[in-house]
Amino acid sequence: MPPKISLKKLDRRGGLFEGVKSNIHTLALGVKYLVDPQRSTLLYPKEYIEHRPGYRGFIIFIKDKCISCAACARICPSAAMKMVRVTEIDPKHPDKPRQKQYPVINYQRCIFCGFCVDVCPTEALYHVPFHDIVYENLADMFLSLEMFQVEPQRPATSEGLPVVYEVDEIKGLVKRRKS
Amino acid sequence: MILDPILYLIAYPPLWQVLILGFLGSLAVAMVAIWFERKAAARVQRRIGPYWASPALGGFLNIIADMVRYVLQQLIIPGTVDRLTFYVAPIAAFIVSILPVIFIPLSSRPEFWPVASMDYSLLIALALSTLPPLLIIAAGWSSNNKFAVIGSMRESYVITAYELVAVVSILSASAATLTFNLVHIVDAQQPFKWLIILNPIAFLAAVLAVLMSTSAFPFEIPESEHEVVAGPYTEYSGALYAFNMGGAYVRRFVYALIIALVFLGGWAPYVPGPGPITGYVIPSIIVVLKALIIVLFISFLRAVYGRYRLDQALGAAWRLAIPLAIVGFGWSLLLAYIGVFH
Repeated sequence: MPPKISLKKLDRRGGLFEGVKSNIHTLALGVKYLVDPQRSTLLYPKEYIEHRPGYRGFIIFIKDKCISCAACARICPSAAMKMVRVTEIDPKHPDKPRQKQYPVINYQRCIFCGFCVDVCPTEALYHVPFHDIVYENLADMFLSLEMFQVEPQRPATSEGLPVVYEVDEIKGLVKRRKS
Repeated sequence: MILDPILYLIAYPPLWQVLILGFLGSLAVAMVAIWFERKAAARVQRRIGPYWASPALGGFLNIIADMVRYVLQQLIIPGTVDRLTFYVAPIAAFIVSILPVIFIPLSSRPEFWPVASMDYSLLIALALSTLPPLLIIAAGWSSNNKFAVIGSMRESYVITAYELVAVVSILSASAATLTFNLVHIVDAQQPFKWLIILNPIAFLAAVLAVLMSTSAFPFEIPESEHEVVAGPYTEYSGALYAFNMGGAYVRRFVYALIIALVFLGGWAPYVPGPGPITGYVIPSIIVVLKALIIVLFISFLRAVYGRYRLDQALGAAWRLAIPLAIVGFGWSLLLAYIGVFH
């Protein structure tokens, strides 16, 4: 036997007076916000969010620290990181070119989880605290070994001002210019 | 000599009032109303609204760009529509929406009236303003689309709710001033015996009726986006959709003009003098500004109200608005009995 559903009886809210009062309250609240708006929209190129140092943004590779262990490529959950084989010439033994493997990244796949940075034993990978970069085509998102080592410039920093979002107990989310 | 007919045509009051004030004026008012609607809703809802098109003007050029886009957009006509009605209905609705402007005097001086006699002008303007909803229903019906048909059915339900309220509440002014002549109604309210002060109940009912008839926000039932795609206008695109959408704003403006004359005293504190500047321009600017205040208030409601269900709107109309209108009418009869205006 299915359980019997009992509906909770709600009090009918007020009468005409209550309705008029709530409508006036609604209009007054709307006028208050119309006169004194508390906007939280980010005007993006003119303003940008300054993230904390631990923010997981774009990943930069330092080739000199890499020991070619391939831990980053193995732990990558979305298979964004691949090892490429590079022929290097050691200055001490110029007659013996040797093969080494280095990671490259595909930002079409990267989910910015930061596992590669965490797992790297020699700290050869690090994050920059932003990820607002635009590529003109999909092929550009597959970084070469040289591009992977270059720290990109954030486009908004040239024309925008840094902004911080803070939680206010009364106003909610508040946007504040960072001095 | 050759110029005389041209000058006569340029100064011909019906042409002047319909083309300049009626068409261009209501177009400008519609643009301001749409801009204010978006901007006010954005301010209340913690957004910014139109901005990047012209930051100095608060994004007003965005509305003009939208209009250009509507005009230049491809006009897609579905194969299953009833073609003649589909083409004619929105255009006819737009034109019929402007038509009451002919019977709206903007000055008490007879040489600036668009028609020779203003007797029964309130009655004729009201009668003309009740026509466009029928054409909107025709537009939805001819679209042969389930959303359009549902939307136009909702429109026809809502008509039954607001038509009586609009007519009774606005005609309460006639009951108070014992005339259908809009000029006499305005002159009776000189200088500050405005009907909004003397009879606020009828004014409230009239504003409710305008909200319902132009599907402004608490009663935006026929074209509610979340339920029926765009209501009667679902199958329309490009310029025909612009006619449909602009028609609602034009109707709102025309209703606001009537209310500004009837309840807000028209050009009331000002007495039109001789000559075109003091006789026509200044009183018409006063009237249009009063109408604009009503239009902007209606636009502002989008920011704060949700949408009523159809049955709630019908209930509100029959249980609240119609008694309100009748009480307002009775109040006006009382005013006439006391003899406030005479």
